[in-house]
Formats: sequence, C-alpha cells, structure tokens
Amino acid sequence: MPIQTSGGMCLLSIGAVTPAMRAREVLLRGGIPATVVRNDPAATGSGCAYAVSYPCGQERLARRLLRGAGIRARGGGRV
Amino acid sequence: MIYFDHAATSFPKPPEVVSGVCNCLQTCAGNAGRGAYQSSMQASELLYDCRVLAAQAFGADTPEEVVFTAGATAAINQAIRGSVQKGDHVLISDLEHNAVFRPVWKLAKEGIISYTVFPTFAANPGATAESVLEGIRRRIRPNTKLLVCTHASNICSAVLPAKEIGALCRRHRIRFVLDAAQSAGHLPVDLKEFSANAVCVPGHKGLGGPQGVGLLILEKNTVLEPLLQGGSGVGSLSPQMPADPPERYEVGTLPLPAIAGLREGLKLLGGRSFAKIRLHERLLWESLAGELKTIPGVQIAAPHISGSVLSFWAEDAGSEAIAAALDERGFCVRAGFHCAALAHRTLGTPKGGAVRVSFGAENTMEQTHLFATAVREILSRR
Repeated sequence: MPIQTSGGMCLLSIGAVTPAMRAREVLLRGGIPATVVRNDPAATGSGCAYAVSYPCGQERLARRLLRGAGIRARGGGRV
Repeated sequence: MIYFDHAATSFPKPPEVVSGVCNCLQTCAGNAGRGAYQSSMQASELLYDCRVLAAQAFGADTPEEVVFTAGATAAINQAIRGSVQKGDHVLISDLEHNAVFRPVWKLAKEGIISYTVFPTFAANPGATAESVLEGIRRRIRPNTKLLVCTHASNICSAVLPAKEIGALCRRHRIRFVLDAAQSAGHLPVDLKEFSANAVCVPGHKGLGGPQGVGLLILEKNTVLEPLLQGGSGVGSLSPQMPADPPERYEVGTLPLPAIAGLREGLKLLGGRSFAKIRLHERLLWESLAGELKTIPGVQIAAPHISGSVLSFWAEDAGSEAIAAALDERGFCVRAGFHCAALAHRTLGTPKGGAVRVSFGAENTMEQTHLFATAVREILSRR
C-alpha cells in the first residue's frame, strides 16, 4: 500500500532515478501531477531508492498507468 | 589547419556542445542519481533528457535502455563480456576494430569462448549483402551465441548489412551486438530495425559530443552480466548490482559535463538529414579518390566503395612519413593501422600501413583538392 503523506500525497517506490523519472512522465501524461522524490530507506528495505509522489485519490489510475508502461512500483515510504 | 580525422574524433565541436559542457561545469553542483536536493535532481534531469534523446535517435523504446559508458569501446566490452559463457562460440567480421577483436581474442585465449571471423568481401567489388549473409550462415555452429560486428568500417567506407545480419541472428537465436562507432551520426542506426540486442555508440565522433562518454543502447529484454561493480545510487544495502538497466551497468559518478555536451549533440542530430550527410561524404570521397588515383603509385583501399572514410597507401613511401609531411602542410590525417589489424589484412594494406582520410560536415571539395595536390607534391619529391 502506498503511504499517505501530510499533504494528501502518496508515494510509490520505483527504485533508481531513471525509471522514477519515466514513471513521473507516464503519470503526467496520464493527467496525474507527479514528482520524483527520494524514498525513505527504512520503507524500501534495500536502501536507497527514488519514488514518485502523486495525489492519493488517484492511486488506482497511477498504478494502472505504471503497470501499462512496464514500470514496477513497489511499496511506498514517507519522504 | 584542415581536419580530416573525423573517424578518430570529430572537430570542431558544435558551439552548442561547447556551451553545454561549459554551462554544466559552471552550474551543475550535484551528483546525478544520488541525492534529492535540487541541484542533484537537476543533474539527474540532465541525464534523463540525454537518455530520452538517445532512445529516440537509436530506436530504443524507453530511456532505461540507454546506458552511459566511458565510450564505444567500454560499451562493446560490456556487451561482449556480459553476454558470453564458457563454451560459447562467437562470430565477428573481418573488418573489426580492436575494440571488438581484442576482447573476443582474449576471451578465446582464456579458454572461455571460441570465435570465427566471417568474410565481408569488402575488397571485392562484387560483394553483396547476400554474400555476407551466406558467409555467416556457413559459420554458425550449434553453440554460436553471439555475433559482434561493425556497422561501418573505420578503414574504408564499407557498410555491413546490419538489418539483414540482425534478422539472421534473430532466426538463429544468436545475440547481435553492433559496433556503431563509425556509423552513428552518419547513417541511420536503429536498435529495433536492426533486431540488435545492443548498439554501441561513441559520444565524440558522429554525434559531435566531447570525449569521455559513450552509449550502450540495450534492447529491453537483453540482460548482461555487469562488467563493473560499485555504487549505483539504488539498493545500497544489497551487495549486488541493481537488477534493472541502466543503473545495473553504471557504476560510480557519471561524467556529467560530457553528457551535457552529448545531449546538445543529440539535439542537433535530430535536425540532420542522413541522405544529405551521405551525399556530402560521397562527393568528398569521389572528388578525393578521383585525384589520388591519378598519382603514380597510390592505391586506395576498397576503391569501389565511397563514403566517409578513404584510406590509401603509396609504393615506396610509408604511411607515417606521408602523414608527417601532410601535417607540415596543415592536414590532420591518421596513418598506420588504425587499431584495426583484421580490417587492414582484409583490405590488403602493405606493411607500411595506410593514410586514412575521414570526412565531417565542415569539409569541402576545395579541401580535398588541396589535400590531393599536397599528396602529389610530397610523393613527387621521393
């Protein structure tokens, strides 16, 4: 489950910065405002990672768009 | 100075490339793919932009298929060493640069692989794509796992039928790695159209970028064993390199200023017409070849193929001596064997080596005339 942040934004952990930036582009093209942020290492379990931040209300669409673009989104973490 | 060594590195670099490098050195404060502070993210954006442009230029589906390397040679080494296992058989062409030949030769010497050289018939005016393909077919073995070849020779203007070779490899389930060191920026190079698993590209030749960066365009389902291990900015608690490209193959800090310059080179590439580039190169080649052929004792390598590279030699005159005399007259050309023993053997270069002339967009017919006049004068004094 993505983690909800205080601003009503959720995070999906992507991994390296390159797929995270493509994830952001995919979401933006799909009409979802998104930004790339650094993920909390404690949330990823494997150390450093980048995530995309997006409005929590659009989680289902965000996941669908990323899946369609072949981008694996893992569990989220707080910035 | 008249610069005829574009096959080694292009010159002059476009002003946009120079500005890109300088601006980056002055303003890029962060390390890409590591931090989240603004300037680090700006650096990451720069890399990402360059990957997007390269993916578009070379037929990759996504920017993740664009791996930054130290150059085309590093990309080729990664593609070859990352592909083979003990007992594999590898095919290479008889026009290969040492960037391909030496890694393959060393793997064979280590007892890991065997390899076979297939003929391109570059010295034969009757050669066709089909004759090259037939030469490959005859040499495929049950354990042939990899074919690596140059797209365009660095010694003559021969271009291998990459699309047909790629299709043949796909039918035989052989991994296909293309060395595009001399073709990128001169000819269309397309990962998908060529059915290639990997295309290796230098940043500083046809793309007009600075030295120090190259590209490994890697088909999305092609997984290589990483040649280098180290920090990648992701999954830091794991002892293994990341599973996914491009970070799987990129260790340590990337050369951001070089990549900033390459990005500008790729932008300029988008506005180029390959047909015009080829026409320009062929006109220069034919103009120069036409004059050189009238000089007694001069022979041109593969004189039936015009394009961006022309190598020649002269009876009783070593290539280094000719190049040195040309240098005194302001011409930049390279002599010797150009890191390509296989290719020179194929083309029948004598032991004194060859003088190589390689063209760029800024070269003119007047320059080729001045060059031929200088060669005539130098040889007439011997």
